[in-house]
Amino acid sequence: MAVALHFLPELIVLAAALLVALLDLWLERSRQVLHWIALAGIALGLASLAPLALRGPAGAEALPVWAELWRTDGFALFFKALFLVSTGLVLLADRRFVEERRLPAGELYAMLLFATLGMIMMASSHNLMVIYIGLELVGITGYALSGLDKSDPRSSEAALKYFLLGAVSSSILLFGLSLVYGLTGSLTLEGIGRVFTVPEGGVGLAGMAVLLLLVGFGFKIAAVPFHMWVPDTYQGSPTPVTAFLSVGPKAAGFAALLSLFVTGLPQATSFWRPLLAGVAVLTMTLGNLAALSQTNLKRLMGYSSISHTGYVLAGLAVATPYGFRAMLFYLAAYAFVNLAAFAIIIAVGTQRQAHELADYRGLGQQNTFMAVALTIFFLSLIGIPPTAGFFGKLYLFGAAIEQGYVGLALVMVLNGVLSVPYYYAVIKEMFMGSPEPSAPPVTWPWGVEAAVIAGLVVALGLGLGSDPLLRAATAVVNAL
Amino acid sequence: MVPQSWVLVFTAALFGLGLWGSLRATNAVRILMGIELMLNAINVNLVAFNRYLADQAGQGQVFALFVMTIAAAEAAVGLAIFVSLARSYKGINVDKINILKW
Repeated sequence: MAVALHFLPELIVLAAALLVALLDLWLERSRQVLHWIALAGIALGLASLAPLALRGPAGAEALPVWAELWRTDGFALFFKALFLVSTGLVLLADRRFVEERRLPAGELYAMLLFATLGMIMMASSHNLMVIYIGLELVGITGYALSGLDKSDPRSSEAALKYFLLGAVSSSILLFGLSLVYGLTGSLTLEGIGRVFTVPEGGVGLAGMAVLLLLVGFGFKIAAVPFHMWVPDTYQGSPTPVTAFLSVGPKAAGFAALLSLFVTGLPQATSFWRPLLAGVAVLTMTLGNLAALSQTNLKRLMGYSSISHTGYVLAGLAVATPYGFRAMLFYLAAYAFVNLAAFAIIIAVGTQRQAHELADYRGLGQQNTFMAVALTIFFLSLIGIPPTAGFFGKLYLFGAAIEQGYVGLALVMVLNGVLSVPYYYAVIKEMFMGSPEPSAPPVTWPWGVEAAVIAGLVVALGLGLGSDPLLRAATAVVNAL
Repeated sequence: MVPQSWVLVFTAALFGLGLWGSLRATNAVRILMGIELMLNAINVNLVAFNRYLADQAGQGQVFALFVMTIAAAEAAVGLAIFVSLARSYKGINVDKINILKW
């Protein structure tokens, strides 16, 4: 029984996914039941983390046989909670959208749950094979999810681009993994960490393997220059799927990247650190520059998510406990705020297909609360106090300075300024313009309201007192 | 036994061929074939490393089995996406699928 406790979240999410997929065959009329089952699965999964969390960071010791395969330490629990909450927020916000657009609800919910299963598996696994299986579970369900709206050619096109680039990139990643296995003779992260080094100059198979891993993960987390699929896939996918892709798989990629590079390749830090720093600078800057000229909000959020990837990568490139702590804080704050902003985008996009900036004209007059909420989320994404995003950027900045990366810190500040105009363009449309009379009114289901309020609580709560999350992140990093 | 470096050269060439093919082809099914070649190179790598390392646990071989299974699932989803595309675009030439800007 004690062993089952360590797999309980996975088992619950798997059971919910199978149940949704199965019941979808009979419940043709009452799709709401499926929605409730999916939400209950996520809630139960979250609740099942509690006994392990109460046990403290020593939870891993209860699994001697599996110790090098499966960990349920603070790191795993932090990411599992983050993944479950982000899928929960997507589920809350998407019901009306699914009904209006006649999307296949059972398939959507089942695949969201399967993708979540892959993500929470990745958080626990300390073995290359299990990491790869989790990664592919997220990837394959992601391809199918983005092509879910079969009546819309843009959705199929989004799926094609995501699938082709995703499949090529996971092959590249896998080639890197096979080289790591050949060089170290081990598939466990601890076993690899004891042996793996990159010789001076980074030549040879070891350097090659790290480069291949970087390219593969670069696609998964959407880092420049491997970001080409992001704007198209984000624009073409059904909006709830876009919301999911912008947080879940990206955070899962970061979880795998963090445990692989920190536990598996610590002796090669001097080789991968400058590479990651370079990629981080490129990703931040190009993401922001490309976002400046966008008029489609989903595409704009795609480029914005690319630039946020750059910030998180900067925390990894610093490669100190301070950097990792800042990275975890930033990821958690970004997840809540971005999903809450997407909840509003989903609600606006339910009646209006295009997602052009003009669709947001006059939102401030129609629903002041939602317009103000979206403004606060954008302020947090820019990093203006008193919001969660401000502290996220502050900690990253501090970690870079502490390690002597002044250039990296400067680029971060400049990028903060660079991101103001495109968020401001949306805010201006909402408050300055007046709504077009022909546009259908926007309705606000309770699920969207709940997601928005959760986002507001996190964005402002952490902005006023960032200590709780920072303490959690510190504990996680100390246990790493 | 075949020297290890031969195997490495062979798999690198096979992988490079697959990558080159998948980047150059314009027909989506051909791209998928390139991806399968890359995965085959990885499987040869894994099985060969398992042999040279004399890994008693057979981790490389088990990994290769999982890679094959996942490749099949990936191909199934990919082909389903191609079918759905072919309905709306009357073809699967990736150069002509461009409602969204690349």
